Amino acid sequence: MLFRLQNIVKTYGPVTALNNLTVTAPTGAIGLLGPNGSGKTTMIRTLLGLIPVNQGSGTILDLDFRTRQLDIRRMVGFAPEDECLFPQVVGVEFVAYAGELVGMKTKDAMQRAHEVLDYVGLGEARYRRAESYSTGMKQRLKLASAIVHDPKLLILDEPTNGMDPAGREEIIELSRDLAHNKGMSLIFSSHLLPDVEAVCDHILVLGAGKLLAEGKIQDLKQLHQQCYEVRLKADPAPFAHKLTNLGCKAAMRDDLIIVQLPDGQSPQLIWTLAAEQKQQIRHLRPQRSTLEEIFLTAVEQQ
Amino acid sequence: MPIFDPGYQHWSGELSGHGWRWLAIARHGYRIGMKNYLLRIIMLVAWIPAIALGFMLCLWGLVERKSELVMPLVAMLDMFDPEVIANPKEYRAEIWTLCYDTFLLMELRFSMILVLIVGPSLISQDLRFNALPLYFSRPLRRIDYFMGKLGVIGAFLGMVLIIPSIVAYVLGLLFSLDLSIIPDTLPLLAASVGYGIVMTLSTGLFILALSSLTRNSRYIALFWLAVWFISSVVGGVLASVDQEHRRHAAYRRSAEISVAQPNANRPPADRQREQAARMADTRQMRQQEWLAEEQQAAKSNWRPMVSYTANLSRIGQAMLNTDAAWRKLSLNKPAEERDRFLLENLGSQYPWYWSAAVILGLMGLSACILNFRIKSLDRLK
Repeated sequence: MLFRLQNIVKTYGPVTALNNLTVTAPTGAIGLLGPNGSGKTTMIRTLLGLIPVNQGSGTILDLDFRTRQLDIRRMVGFAPEDECLFPQVVGVEFVAYAGELVGMKTKDAMQRAHEVLDYVGLGEARYRRAESYSTGMKQRLKLASAIVHDPKLLILDEPTNGMDPAGREEIIELSRDLAHNKGMSLIFSSHLLPDVEAVCDHILVLGAGKLLAEGKIQDLKQLHQQCYEVRLKADPAPFAHKLTNLGCKAAMRDDLIIVQLPDGQSPQLIWTLAAEQKQQIRHLRPQRSTLEEIFLTAVEQQ
Repeated sequence: MPIFDPGYQHWSGELSGHGWRWLAIARHGYRIGMKNYLLRIIMLVAWIPAIALGFMLCLWGLVERKSELVMPLVAMLDMFDPEVIANPKEYRAEIWTLCYDTFLLMELRFSMILVLIVGPSLISQDLRFNALPLYFSRPLRRIDYFMGKLGVIGAFLGMVLIIPSIVAYVLGLLFSLDLSIIPDTLPLLAASVGYGIVMTLSTGLFILALSSLTRNSRYIALFWLAVWFISSVVGGVLASVDQEHRRHAAYRRSAEISVAQPNANRPPADRQREQAARMADTRQMRQQEWLAEEQQAAKSNWRPMVSYTANLSRIGQAMLNTDAAWRKLSLNKPAEERDRFLLENLGSQYPWYWSAAVILGLMGLSACILNFRIKSLDRLK
């Protein structure tokens, strides 16, 4: 188990950021989803022991977050959302200093800084002033400084915000590699659902300080009964019309036809119609929910 | 692209305990500070008084041993009374005290310059580059952060105040070759080290508090200069005005007495001689009265307290017990010169704890500002 929170209440004056939140997360890559103000950042700060809560208890990496804050922060790497830098240092000093702040010896921290900068792809820029880095480079620098002490858990708060597609892809690739190949647990907080889907196995959806949905992404994206995605070689519109005449519900989504078969019918109906119409089917598979649908459904049910 | 890319490697080294985490911040700040060329120059210049201190203590060690190497030099320089030269061990503690006092007074100025160069950016740059989330999301408490930043000031001031004091002390011991010097001068070493700590805490907390007020370190440097110069000038002007006021009052009294005693029934030459003698007596008496009055006034003259550096200097004097040294040396002077000697050499005479209260008040205010300005992450954006 990665962490467990029980009945957590956290208020900022009249605003309730976490409202009796109870959640248990397994080890692995966890995606943290939720609209603005849903309590994602407050939950991360609670996990790091950065804020006192009004009520509730919990553990992270088997340590009580109310009493073992400093020990937790030694075992966790955190890359905050905001643009933040240690001033007047070059890249390698930045990362080494981050390691020293966690308790690494100066020599170890410097050696390790070189290693992780190579890993995140900043090896060539290690002697450049951190202030001169681009947004993407700064994100990778923050990631390097978060993993310099080889934490058991890495927390990334909106790591792909404001990045170009190439930079975003690099961060996603690094996060996925750390979580899936290097045995590091990950909490990946983001508004960008494709990013979460690309990196994480498990999601937590928060809304108004409560847990709205959780589970493995593959489990949540359940099969829809009697619902199929169909792609044809030719124009799909006439085929969709024919399906409607046969009692199916057919809707167009991009170049796909989403077909809801009547009860008692099988996909053989689609194959038969295609043969009759001399249409070539390129793609036919049962429809699954997208992460976006899961997210929107959870938020609507709130 | 690297020829051999090992990818991510796990690390299994030891992490140090929480107690020394502030040291990482201090070490980092020191490294950043030492990159400043101007700072390195100032540090070198600031060691000149330290070299002079070491030279004087070594010289005195040789004087105590009546070394032929230095006795002609000492006689030629004419720096000390013959009585002091005749019994150098008798005056060892006093001479050492005055050497340390002069050294610390000069280093006070250099310390202010060093703090001016190092201090303003310590917190303001962290605010400017939003570095606080990076600090406080690591296993650091606010007190570790403050101690680390204070440690940067401490490192630089220690290099010009504490380390030279200790090195000069050891050199003085080595050149004296007399173990009785240790009980005579050890309190002096403790006082100079203690003064270095007081300086570090006072100036360090003050500049950190100022540094936390804005993201622009230039404003802080200007404010520091203003505090230093303007408070010194105002304190000096107030003290001068007060002294002039007393001096004019004394002259007025002297003139009134001279005019109030006309001579009659005497030959003019005798009258002139008598008048001149009476005026000389009166002038001397008034001079003595004025010196006594000045000494009395100095005991309650609060005006130097307006100056930040004067307060630090007063605490230094009290810790080193400089006044006692001057008083002992004044005993070698003729009785009529003693008061003037003391008045010229003794510094401010108001109770030292007044200055201590001012410095403690400033430190308390600085601590409050720091506590208010530097929040942990729960109150950050």
